[in-house]
Amino acid sequence: MATGAAIAVENVSHHYRPPKKRPVHALDQVSLEVGDREFVALLGPSGCGKSTLLYLIGGFMPIESGSIRVNGNLVTGPGPDRGVVFQHFALFPWKTVLGNVLYGLENIGVPREEARERAQKYIDMVHLTGFEDAYPNQLSGGMKQRAAIARTLAIDPDILLMDEPFGALDAQTRGLMQEELLSIWQRTRKTVLFVTHDVREAVYLAERVVMMTARPGRIMESVDTRFDEAGPGVMDRPEFVEKASYIWNRIKGEAIATVAARAS
Amino acid sequence: MTSDGAAPRVALPDPGAVALSALFWKVAPAIPIVGLFALWQILSASGAFNPYLMPEVPAVFRRVALELVNGEFLLNAGATLYRALAGFLIAAALAVTIGIAMARIRIVHWFFDPILSVGFPMPKVAFLPVFMLWFGAYDASKITLIAFASFFAIAVNTVAGTQGVDRHLVWSARSLGASERKILWTVILPAALPQILTGFQIALPLAMIVTIVTEMLMGGVGLGGAMIRAQRFADSIGVFSGIVQIGFTGFVVIFTMRWLRRRLLSWHEEAKR
Ligand SMILES: Nc1ncnc2c1ncn2[C@@H]1O[C@H](COP(=O)(O)OP(=O)(O)OP(=O)(O)O)[C@@H](O)[C@H]1O
Ligand SMILES: [Mg+2]
Repeated sequence: MATGAAIAVENVSHHYRPPKKRPVHALDQVSLEVGDREFVALLGPSGCGKSTLLYLIGGFMPIESGSIRVNGNLVTGPGPDRGVVFQHFALFPWKTVLGNVLYGLENIGVPREEARERAQKYIDMVHLTGFEDAYPNQLSGGMKQRAAIARTLAIDPDILLMDEPFGALDAQTRGLMQEELLSIWQRTRKTVLFVTHDVREAVYLAERVVMMTARPGRIMESVDTRFDEAGPGVMDRPEFVEKASYIWNRIKGEAIATVAARAS
Repeated sequence: MTSDGAAPRVALPDPGAVALSALFWKVAPAIPIVGLFALWQILSASGAFNPYLMPEVPAVFRRVALELVNGEFLLNAGATLYRALAGFLIAAALAVTIGIAMARIRIVHWFFDPILSVGFPMPKVAFLPVFMLWFGAYDASKITLIAFASFFAIAVNTVAGTQGVDRHLVWSARSLGASERKILWTVILPAALPQILTGFQIALPLAMIVTIVTEMLMGGVGLGGAMIRAQRFADSIGVFSGIVQIGFTGFVVIFTMRWLRRRLLSWHEEAKR
C-alpha cells in the first residue's frame, strides 16, 4: 500500500440486502486513494453509491469485500478522526444547536469552558449566531445543514467526509460556506472527501475530482483540478470553464444512463 | 383602526372577539360533560325512574363534596393511585429495559417476541386468581397484576420505537466519539421516547382499569373497594359518587400524563401543533 494516503479504498464492493427484497448492488470494485491533506470531490449520478462509499469509509457499515485503510489502519468502526457531515444532517432533534455542537466536544473530553467557547466559535462561523438555543425543527433546511457542519468541524477531525454539505444552501450562503471551508482546509490542512452534485463547486473547491459511474458505482475517472490562481475569480478563467464542461459532459452521460436504466 | 390610505389594509379581527373565542375553546371540552350531567339530572328529576336506581345529581355531588371534606376521597383515591402507579412504574421499568434489549439483541428478541405476541391481546385480569394464589389477597397480588397488565403495551411500543430510530443519528453519535452506553442514553432513548410515551399513554388507563377491577373483586381501601361496599350497603348515592370520583381521578391521571408528554417532547415536531 502506498504510504502517505490518508484514505485508501481497495476493491470495495457493497450490496444492500433489504429484508425480503432483492439485494441492491451499490458499489462495484471501487478503489480510491485520497492523499494526506488532499481535497477530493466525488461526483456521480444520483444513486451511484457516493453516500455508501462515505459510510464505508466512516466505518458505519461492515465492509463485505475489499479493504479500507485510514492513515494505514484498517477501518473497523467509526471514530472521531473522521468527521462526517451527513446528507440529511442527522442532527439530534432533542438537542439545541448548541447542545448538538457540544455533544462531540464532551465525548472527546474537552473541558466545559473551552467546549463552550469552541462551540460558539463554530456556530458563529456558520452564521448561526443567535440560534444557539433553537431546536432543529425550528430551523430551515439550510440552517440545519450549517448546524451539522459546525458540529462536525468543532471536534477538529483530521479527515472530513462531507456528503453534499452545501446542498440545502442558497447561492449566497453557499459561496460564503465554500470560502469558509477552503480557509479551514488551508489553515489546518485536513484531508477532505467531498460529495457534491455541483460540478463547478467540485472543480472550484477540490484539488482532484473523482467521477463515479451509474449504479453499481465504479470509479470512472479522476481529474486534476488545481489551478494557478486562487479565489472565486478562477471560475471565470478559460481553463476552469474547460475542465468544468469536460467533467459535466462525462457525468451527463452517466446520468442519462441512470435515467435510461430506470425507464427500462 | 387608522392607516395611511396608500398601504393596503389587512382586516384585523376585533381583539375582543378573539379573546372571547379563545375563552370559548378553553371551556368547550367541558360542555359535553356538563350536558351529560344535565341529561342525567333531567331524567332522574322527571320521576320516570326509581330514585334508588338513579339518584339526583345534586345528591351525588353533595356526597362527593362530603367525602372530599372528611378525607374519605383522598384516602381511597390515594390507595388506588398508589397501587396503579406502583404497578405502572414497575411495568415501565421492566418493559422499557426489555423492549430496548429486544430491539438491540437478537436472542432477547427471539425469546420475548412470541411472548409479547401472545400476551398483548390476552385479558390479563384472568391471571388474578393465579397471583392471589402466589402473593396472597393483599396489595402484592394487585400490584403484580397491574404491572402485568401494563407491561405489554409499553414493551411493544418500546420495541417499535427503538427499531425505528434513524440509523444516521446513531452513526453521527458514534463518529462524534460517543460510547455505546452513552449512545443508549443520549440517542436511542430520546429518539424512541415519543413512542415509549405512547406506550405509557396506552398502559396508564389499563393500569387504572385493572386497579379498580381488582379492588372491586378483592375489597379493601380504594375507589373500587368503596364502590363495592356502597353497593353491598344498598347505598346507591355512594355507588354513583364512586363513579364520579373514579372518573375524576382517571381524568387527572391522564391529563398529567399528557402534560408530561408535552414537557418531555418540547423538541418534537408534534409540540409545535
Ligand atoms: N439502506 C438501503 N437499503 C437498500 N438500498 C439502499 C440503501 N441505501 C442505499 N441504497 C441503494 O444503494 C444505491 C446507492 O445509494 P447511495 O445513497 O449511496 O447513493 P448516492 O450516490 O449517495 O445518491 P444521491 O446522490 O442521490 O445521494 C441506491 O441505488 C440506493 O437505492
Ligand atoms: Mg447520497
